Amino acid sequence: MSDVVEVFRQDAEDAVRIVSGLLRRGESGEAFRERRRRVSWTATEAGLLAPAFADERGTAVRLRRGRESLLVAREGDGPEALREAVREASRRAGGSPFLKSRRVAQARAKAEASAPDEEERAAQLGAALHRALPDPRGLSLSLTVARVFVSRAVVTAREIVACGTVRRLEATGVLRRASAARPFAFQTSAPWAPALDALARALSEAARPVPTHRVVEGRVDVVFSPGAASVFWHEAVGHPLEAEGGERGSVLTRVARAAVAPAGVLVTADPTRGDLPGSYLADDEGTPARSVALLTDGCVDGLVTDRRTAGRASNGHARCGDFRRPPRPRLSNVVVSPGRASRDELLEACGNGLYVREISAAHADPESGRFTLFVESADLVRRGALGAPLGPFALTSDVLSALRQLHTESGDVSHPANGLGLCVKGGEGVAVGGASPAILIRGLTAVRGRS
Amino acid sequence: MSPGRDGLLERLLAESRCDATAGESAEAYERRGTSIELVEDAEGTRLSVVAERGFALRLFRSGRTAFAASPPEAVDRLPFEARLVLGRARARRGARAAGPVALDRASALAPPPPPDEASARALLASFRSALLAEGEGAVSLTEAILTVGARTERVATTAGRDVAFGSGIATLVATVTGRTAAGSVSARVLASASRPEELFLARLARQAVDRALLPLRGRPLAPARGDLLLDPNVAAPVVGRLAPAFFGDEGDALLASRTRDGRDAFASPALSLVDDASAPGGPVKATHDGEGTPHSRTVLVSRGIAAGRLSDSAAAIRLQQPPTGNAMRRAYTDPPAIGVTNFFVDPSRGVAPLELLRALARGFYAAVLLSRPEVDFAADRFRLHAAGYWVEKGRAAEAVSETLVEGRLSELLRAVEAVGDDLKFVPSGSGGAGSPTLFVPKWKGA
Repeated sequence: MSDVVEVFRQDAEDAVRIVSGLLRRGESGEAFRERRRRVSWTATEAGLLAPAFADERGTAVRLRRGRESLLVAREGDGPEALREAVREASRRAGGSPFLKSRRVAQARAKAEASAPDEEERAAQLGAALHRALPDPRGLSLSLTVARVFVSRAVVTAREIVACGTVRRLEATGVLRRASAARPFAFQTSAPWAPALDALARALSEAARPVPTHRVVEGRVDVVFSPGAASVFWHEAVGHPLEAEGGERGSVLTRVARAAVAPAGVLVTADPTRGDLPGSYLADDEGTPARSVALLTDGCVDGLVTDRRTAGRASNGHARCGDFRRPPRPRLSNVVVSPGRASRDELLEACGNGLYVREISAAHADPESGRFTLFVESADLVRRGALGAPLGPFALTSDVLSALRQLHTESGDVSHPANGLGLCVKGGEGVAVGGASPAILIRGLTAVRGRS
Repeated sequence: MSPGRDGLLERLLAESRCDATAGESAEAYERRGTSIELVEDAEGTRLSVVAERGFALRLFRSGRTAFAASPPEAVDRLPFEARLVLGRARARRGARAAGPVALDRASALAPPPPPDEASARALLASFRSALLAEGEGAVSLTEAILTVGARTERVATTAGRDVAFGSGIATLVATVTGRTAAGSVSARVLASASRPEELFLARLARQAVDRALLPLRGRPLAPARGDLLLDPNVAAPVVGRLAPAFFGDEGDALLASRTRDGRDAFASPALSLVDDASAPGGPVKATHDGEGTPHSRTVLVSRGIAAGRLSDSAAAIRLQQPPTGNAMRRAYTDPPAIGVTNFFVDPSRGVAPLELLRALARGFYAAVLLSRPEVDFAADRFRLHAAGYWVEKGRAAEAVSETLVEGRLSELLRAVEAVGDDLKFVPSGSGGAGSPTLFVPKWKGA
């Protein structure tokens, strides 16, 4: 897939001419090309089943005029698909472009993997699963493990902009032991060998018997591990600062510039962090990726925007699930600057409470600010030390209270989060990442159960 | 892009070069689809028009299966891609290309007609009006997404199956915001049907208003013993989470152990569970599944007793039963997997919901869910975070902003005393899940 973007450029001159010819006075727009390849396996305790290859190619032409936008999508990522999409878009928009047919020989992108590579990768994946679960007795595993490659490019009226090629290993499914089931989600954009090691470690950790201790419901002080803290920042600060809230905005945009968290807290949406899964070179409208400060020194700062919400001032956060869907302002990597405290110091500051290691799912209502974090793995904290492991539970609060109750010191290292993977909004998933130090929040509400 | 008479499907099947003597067979699949998506929000209106065509190939050898999918321009690579990993796949008993079915009507696939944009815009306007009327100024529409699609599909196998069929889908997802002196809350509701005319807009508007205003207008209710009435909006998602227990492959052992191989009842005699692609009001209206097998009506629980399983071709062979036609394909890029069509509680012996309300001596009427229901069939637990009304002597006494209804799932299913006749569906998995109002007397945690 590395040379797919080059394939997208082969008809550059023609494509740019077609797109510029499509746009009339007062209109803006672009074409979008995507190629997605997915190699997946169903992994059970008995090994790998049901291999599946899926190759998707698509072209979308998008037009914006005032408050109206139009998207026309066709399968295929070559010149003919672009012409056909432009014809249909023009017809619907009331124009009639004259598209002179010019044959462009489209070279095939080299296949991503030769046959021996693919077989070898399957064997390596099988070995990693065996390493993770050397004795699967009593365990029932139902996972889909996939290698995904996505290449995207945007054709504007002036040039073709490469959004980049994303490679990732992802695994989702359920692990069952006796009468307990736990969801499992993993994603990494690391190279193949370290990705397999990380998957094996995560799976091995998830397969440990579920602790039987139950959380005590009610208000509680919580130390979040760096991975769990990344999910909190994504839900509590990231989503309310996506520029789509309408006239009344969200719980955070209604208090723009106000200090909502302790001084010194810096939270950014940063798609330029190449080591995190939510990175790209340019967004899905062709705007170069740019880091945007969401909270600066504890104060509400910027919003992530696209061209629909900010016009030419878009800060490069237009993202779409695939070529069929219009882009909208979405998060990329939410990165939080580290503080100076060690984990032990945070636990000591917590006193009695909880240490959350892993969050499996979360949701937030930007309007009211209510959020819920579904905790998969946590320990009790007693007198500043880790205690018994706990079964799954949920934590809820509202954004402004939680930020107000954030301890002034945070962990001294900002770690990338493995747990953050696909962010689903309106049924549309985009890859996201995060990096955060450990944090302490007081006065959250613990509720038993798991969604 | 060409109108389907280019012989690509036939070529794909021929180039799979299956050696029948070595136990090889192949299944080729083609899908053509058109859809429009209309989005209205504070920024304006977005219209998306999508037309697509895709192919998939499954190769079978001695129970092993490999799958590959692509758009037309890469279709020649599919046999190579599938063969690449076929040897490494593990065997699944019964996995092979399906044979012919009665009344096969093979034909080149024509693209489905594009959905009508004007009627989509009119439908969204109707929903906006219905919401305005129901919400009395306290509820506004933040975003509405209407998707209307149609598709045609064809399945051909080296074992002689060749069948073509079509279907449609309409989905409306609305995000609403409720504002009162007590604060504001946003909520998302959705409805789906096989055609846009079958989307019940007034009902969805009512649900949206309840979902947005009940959390602001009522008081929280501590769990207490009392009768429990589950509105279809609450019961249907719970019913949908039961479906995997009836999948012929994975849920089999769990269901057998829960019911001691059918010796124990799965639910109360008031409950019968059915999967039926032709159910009135259901979001799925199709004649065949993703393997080209005709859909059928399958009774899964008959008056509380587990009575059937959902199957694809392979599971049917393993279960030694005719296939039920439940091999579902979400997209052409996904291999078929066992799933539901319209999976619902049979309302045929139900009574009017008002009669059920009158039977409520003292208890909670759960009108809307505030979060996804937690239903763990393996652990035999459920938990509903709901809003509704506290009811006394059949009359609503007080609005309830939130409460938890939880306990053992098996106890809930066996405690259902009566069902309503107001079957409603919600989107669930590959199809829809439906339930009428359910009445549970003297529930310990309501």
